[in-house]
Amino acid sequence: MQIVENSKIKEKLFIEKLSNGINVMILPKKTRKKYIVWSANFGSIDNKFYAPGEDVLTTVPDGIAHYLEHKMFEQENRKNSLDVLTSLGVEANAYTTNDHTAFLFECTENFDEALDEFMNYMQNPYFTDDNVEKERGIIEQEIMMYDDYPEWSIYMNAMRCMYKANEMNIDVAGSKESISKIDKEQLYKVYDAFYRPDNMIIVLCGNFEPKEALEKIKQKMTLEPYEEETRRVYNKEPDEINQKYIEKEMNISMPSVIIGYKDNDLKSDKVKKDIAIDILGTLLFGKSSDFFKNLYECGKIFSEPIINYEFSKTYAHVLIQLQTNYVEDVLNIANSQIENLKQNGINDEDFQIAKKKVYGNIVKDYNDVSTIATGIVSDYFKGINSFDYFEEFNSLNKEYVEKILKETFVEDRKVISVIKPISDKKD
Amino acid sequence: MNKVSFEIKQGIKAHCIKTDSYKTDITCVIITTPLKRETVTKNALIPFMLRRGSNNFPSLYLINREMENMYGASFNCGIDKMGDNVVLKFYIESISNEYALNNENILRRNLESLLDIVFNPIQKNGLLNEEFLQTEKDNLRKVIESKIDDKDLYSFDACIAAMYGDDKFGLYKYGYVEDIEKIDIKNISEYYNFLIQNSKIDIFISGNIDEKEAKDFLNENENIKKLKPRTENYILNNEFTESKQIVENIKEVSEKMDVTQGKLVIGLDISSNIDNLQATGLVYNAILGDGANSMMFQNVREKASLAYSAKSTFVKQKMNVFIRCGIQIENYQKAVDLIKVQLDNIKNGKFEEDDIQNAKTYLISGIRNIEEEQDTEVVYYIGQEISKTNMSPDEYIEKIEKVSKEDIVNLANSVSINTIYFLRN
Repeated sequence: MQIVENSKIKEKLFIEKLSNGINVMILPKKTRKKYIVWSANFGSIDNKFYAPGEDVLTTVPDGIAHYLEHKMFEQENRKNSLDVLTSLGVEANAYTTNDHTAFLFECTENFDEALDEFMNYMQNPYFTDDNVEKERGIIEQEIMMYDDYPEWSIYMNAMRCMYKANEMNIDVAGSKESISKIDKEQLYKVYDAFYRPDNMIIVLCGNFEPKEALEKIKQKMTLEPYEEETRRVYNKEPDEINQKYIEKEMNISMPSVIIGYKDNDLKSDKVKKDIAIDILGTLLFGKSSDFFKNLYECGKIFSEPIINYEFSKTYAHVLIQLQTNYVEDVLNIANSQIENLKQNGINDEDFQIAKKKVYGNIVKDYNDVSTIATGIVSDYFKGINSFDYFEEFNSLNKEYVEKILKETFVEDRKVISVIKPISDKKD
Repeated sequence: MNKVSFEIKQGIKAHCIKTDSYKTDITCVIITTPLKRETVTKNALIPFMLRRGSNNFPSLYLINREMENMYGASFNCGIDKMGDNVVLKFYIESISNEYALNNENILRRNLESLLDIVFNPIQKNGLLNEEFLQTEKDNLRKVIESKIDDKDLYSFDACIAAMYGDDKFGLYKYGYVEDIEKIDIKNISEYYNFLIQNSKIDIFISGNIDEKEAKDFLNENENIKKLKPRTENYILNNEFTESKQIVENIKEVSEKMDVTQGKLVIGLDISSNIDNLQATGLVYNAILGDGANSMMFQNVREKASLAYSAKSTFVKQKMNVFIRCGIQIENYQKAVDLIKVQLDNIKNGKFEEDDIQNAKTYLISGIRNIEEEQDTEVVYYIGQEISKTNMSPDEYIEKIEKVSKEDIVNLANSVSINTIYFLRN
């Protein structure tokens, strides 16, 4: 087993690629908890592909990765694995993102019994017309629930503004209309195309002895290696944004705003850039920034804006999210805040403090077994190594952060998504 | 149990949870006071005022700067409703000293900051800073108004309000917009000083710190020295204090909003006086609607495909169960009928030993997790302190294991529907 050690955070990661091509990573922790997540590199953006051995392009309905996630728990013996796992006292769950689908459970007892069930359902899907049909109503309700979440609407609208063709503009769960077309044949097809060893990773975190845990996984692994590849096809996205501004009315109390910057540079060092943008977020909009101080004191904002750099292999963007009753004002001030920092450069003391804050946040990410394991999974599919955050952190200087500011926060790649309270209609 | 509690002064306690399993430390000050219609809004405003600045950190900026300098420590305050009381929470979470890059004693420094923010606000002639007042009144109003943003929580609160009315547990924890204008710097300052000198105060520290160190630190702290001994003044809620009468007529409340999905909340009263009531209530609730094996999940979601989210919540302080699900609006009657069937089935003992075992396993694994999650552990001990139960997680597990089918059926037969609330378009 390969061992990667990080002396700062005092953690060790054990890595092994099994003979069928699946990667297993284990991070032991001093706790009674055991956490395992098994993830396939298949998400809502993967809707066109050449299946292994086929030369005809397959296009699948939006939301199929999420539908498949729901249906993975069905077993041939008519049992639902989620029920079986719950009966064992383990907390089982699953989730779908734009680029991966993950299945997991967490426990303090009965790990071995639960692992049997877990590895069995992951490797033996069982779809029937009936069980696929039954799920449609449940997922429709899930989609409707998201429709009422302002934070989800504003996010999807920002994606639609930013991307003309990129699959990021597709809702993870699809729509009521798109999921109506999903059937069992399609589910088997995407399972075969994407739930293959070389396209998956298993991460364990918690109370494990790495060798022993790895042995257990090996014993229960039945998936054969694949000879031929699944080739994904993505739409070609132009450099420019799709539209500058979008707004929607919803039943909420205060307008919500997302300022987004589309980042077309998918090549450069992502980890370093992610840290730099975190630092910039703190300097520009953090709780000790002029922006926050001034707007808070005059009652124009109340809570700290949230800054995120989201990226994967096919997209990258910065999102700044805040709530205010003074949308136009706050947008203008945000703009001048960015332009001022570009012109005046970063103050040394501010830079050091922002760096300390960002360091603290990276350390905090290593507290909880689920944060650690799911973090390793999503980093892995982005093509980065989680421990790199500590390495890059040291070498990061002010000049680099200033360069990222100028390159990334660019006016003509900016989009604005706004959700407003419903305006009073007079009868 | 790794928790040690000691009294600092009458009515003021410290609780030290010594641990080195986390990368973080938590320090927390809790102030507990009864929920009353006339003070609920003032209570909510206090944290807003205090986080604006203290004598050692005289502005929001200086507090925030200190937190960033302590490696992004997060200082937060909040308001929780616990039975008939309101709990004001002030806490700082930060990385442990072990991970400091320049050998700072982060834990000690944060604890000092926290006590300064809560107990040493900027005051002139006994008055809090008037400059902060208007902004913070506006901020509180926004928070109160934002309760419509989360439809799930909104419906839950609305059902509680319909059941309990305008008093104690029925009150909204952030208070009411119409009260805000009546608050001025004089009455809020008086209220703050009253609260600080007359309420139950608890200080929680979770991290690599031992009892003696904590004791010495707290006894020497100037802000603690200023506090006077007091008699704890709050309402004790637990399984012995709550007795309910069965409601004759079910209240049905429906409210309209522009929503895609309807939210159904059914409030149930438990009026049993069997032994081990709280543990039985938990098992009853787990069979009914907590977890993937529950009747709500299996029958309302999986079999009838009526909902994605279908669950129930047990409020142990008030002996209520709230059934909650998001459904298509036209399925209202179907869902209510199906839920009533579930309630009847438990009453008639129509469930298996397996269901009980599943429920217990589910609950016990949740309890075992308490000691493996730092914030969960702190929250658990806050709850124990306020309900005066002081049970360790192991004792809690024992009580759950003791629950029998007979207990559950007994309890189920004391359950009655109090209110059916529906949020629709």
